[in-house]
Amino acid sequence: MDPARRLGRAQIDVFAQLGVSTVLLGGIYALIAVGLTLIFGIMRVVNFAHGEFLMLGMYLAFWAYTLLALDPYFVLFVSIPVFYGVGLVTYVLVMRGVIHASHNVQIFTTVGLSTALQNLALVLWSGDFHTVRPWHASTPIRLGGTAFNLSQVVAFVIAIALTVLLFAFMRWTHTGRVMRATAQDREAAVLMGIDTDRVYRLTFAIGIAAVGAAGVLVSPLYAVYPTAGLQFVLLSYVVVVLGGLGDMVGALIGSLIVAAVEVAGSYFFGTAWKEILYFVLFIGVLVFRPAGLFGQRGAENLGV
Amino acid sequence: MPAGLARHRGALVVFGAAALVPLVVRDAYFLDSLVLILLWGALSAAWNVAGGYAGQVSIGHAAFFGIGAYSAALLSARFQQSPWLGMLVGVALSLAAGAAIGYLSNRLKGPYFALSTIAFSQVLLIVASRWRGFTSGSEGIPVPFRPGFSTLGLGHVAWVYLALVVAVLYWGIEVWLERSRFGYRLAGVREDEDAAQALGIPSRRLKVIAVTASAALTSVCGTLWAQYVGFVDPFYVFSVDLSVRFALNTIIGGMGTALGPFLGSILITSLETYLRASLSGVKSGFTGIYLIVYGTVLILVVRFVPDGLAGLAARLRAWRARAVA
Repeated sequence: MDPARRLGRAQIDVFAQLGVSTVLLGGIYALIAVGLTLIFGIMRVVNFAHGEFLMLGMYLAFWAYTLLALDPYFVLFVSIPVFYGVGLVTYVLVMRGVIHASHNVQIFTTVGLSTALQNLALVLWSGDFHTVRPWHASTPIRLGGTAFNLSQVVAFVIAIALTVLLFAFMRWTHTGRVMRATAQDREAAVLMGIDTDRVYRLTFAIGIAAVGAAGVLVSPLYAVYPTAGLQFVLLSYVVVVLGGLGDMVGALIGSLIVAAVEVAGSYFFGTAWKEILYFVLFIGVLVFRPAGLFGQRGAENLGV
Repeated sequence: MPAGLARHRGALVVFGAAALVPLVVRDAYFLDSLVLILLWGALSAAWNVAGGYAGQVSIGHAAFFGIGAYSAALLSARFQQSPWLGMLVGVALSLAAGAAIGYLSNRLKGPYFALSTIAFSQVLLIVASRWRGFTSGSEGIPVPFRPGFSTLGLGHVAWVYLALVVAVLYWGIEVWLERSRFGYRLAGVREDEDAAQALGIPSRRLKVIAVTASAALTSVCGTLWAQYVGFVDPFYVFSVDLSVRFALNTIIGGMGTALGPFLGSILITSLETYLRASLSGVKSGFTGIYLIVYGTVLILVVRFVPDGLAGLAARLRAWRARAVA
């Protein structure tokens, strides 16, 4: 066989691998970002502590795995109600009082929450890196010329299923409609008799439940440590700003873009420098398209 | 007491005490805390120029701190140059970086501006921690100690006075900001940008100038800190926690007030020193405890005392004046 054709075949395999990696990664990022964008869209608060809830989800999976030998996918079913509850408590204790406060107050409330949670994890569980290695993290799946481990695929499938579920909830249930109405116009929602406090409470709890579930899902794929949330949350800011803060479909597209940048970046420049790419992308988007790639209604009064 | 002095009673007490303490106290531990209080205060004052006076709230100011720390550390460790030269290089780089980030994110407000500054500091963190050949990567660089003023190898007492000079200088800049034409225009932009623009104030240019100046002032303290502590760790000097610390001191003391950052620093740095001393040896992860306290204090302060200690004092004065009348 002539070398040119062999090269062609290998390249196709490489691109297939890169393409599938992008989709798998994008699905997980979507689940992380969708909670962030939901909270922003409805509550008008950028949750700077979002990554810390992801980190807590990862620790939950780690402890369940180490102490009780529970598989992360089993923990997932427990984590959703647990993080829903954590979200409710956090809303009542921390967020409720600042929902109508200025940007600065909101920023520093969630930043303070982030610092407190991060260091709570540090004190309780030390700064050591922990890993969860269930059997499926080392089970390869081959498809054509591409290979992935089972955890990646399952995480993707569940993440997409949860994201779709959330979309459906927002689109077709009465509560979802009420939440969207509040996002569109707070004052009008109040005038229509909507209990906005309940909407915010629900929104925050759902957003935290989503990111907690994402934490459990990524636990077989990434190491757990107190600042593990930071890398993901920075990335989900990129996703969310790309798609337009508050726009759920935008978040999905943004996830794919960021995943593509990350996958292509680590292929061409090595994993050490890939993060630079998406931060540069981030700054570029903030500077040139702060309302997101597709524009966003009402962006001008959100501080763009 | 003349009116001018009376207005600055608080500053007189704070800085006067800092100047007198080294004459009486020789305890190295205490003097060390004093240097840190003054340095963190000056850093928070530098943050205050952008965050408090211009309303450009940054959570990435560690970027400029790191630039200052690295410039001096690299120049003295690699090229045997004086840290003062490093300070100048750091200031030049921070002016450029501050102008760039200030200009690029000029349109952004609130959470968007904060996000862009975080992203910027993260880019620098990645460069500093991955560029092994030049910065030693994540290992960090030790700063060589060479005794003498030109190499900033000073004793504790000398450090107190150096930090004090910087602190008073920064405080003076903010007092000037409160009563100069520039400062009034900046306050106008902060309070209502549209109205300020309608009055012909070049709001964008003013904000860029404020962010750039704030970056340069931060960088100077970054250099001093690196020389004082003697080690530059990329994960510390570019961390989000550090950026939050500048903001935290200022918010607790009172954003947009000259003395606020120093009051905040006194409170927070003493608290940290106290907790470190009393909790050391309890558990290896004790370092996290004061940061948990930080985070909680931050949440409580922005919620219940959003104008900080300085605002609280002003309210108390107003209340007393009313009671007398």
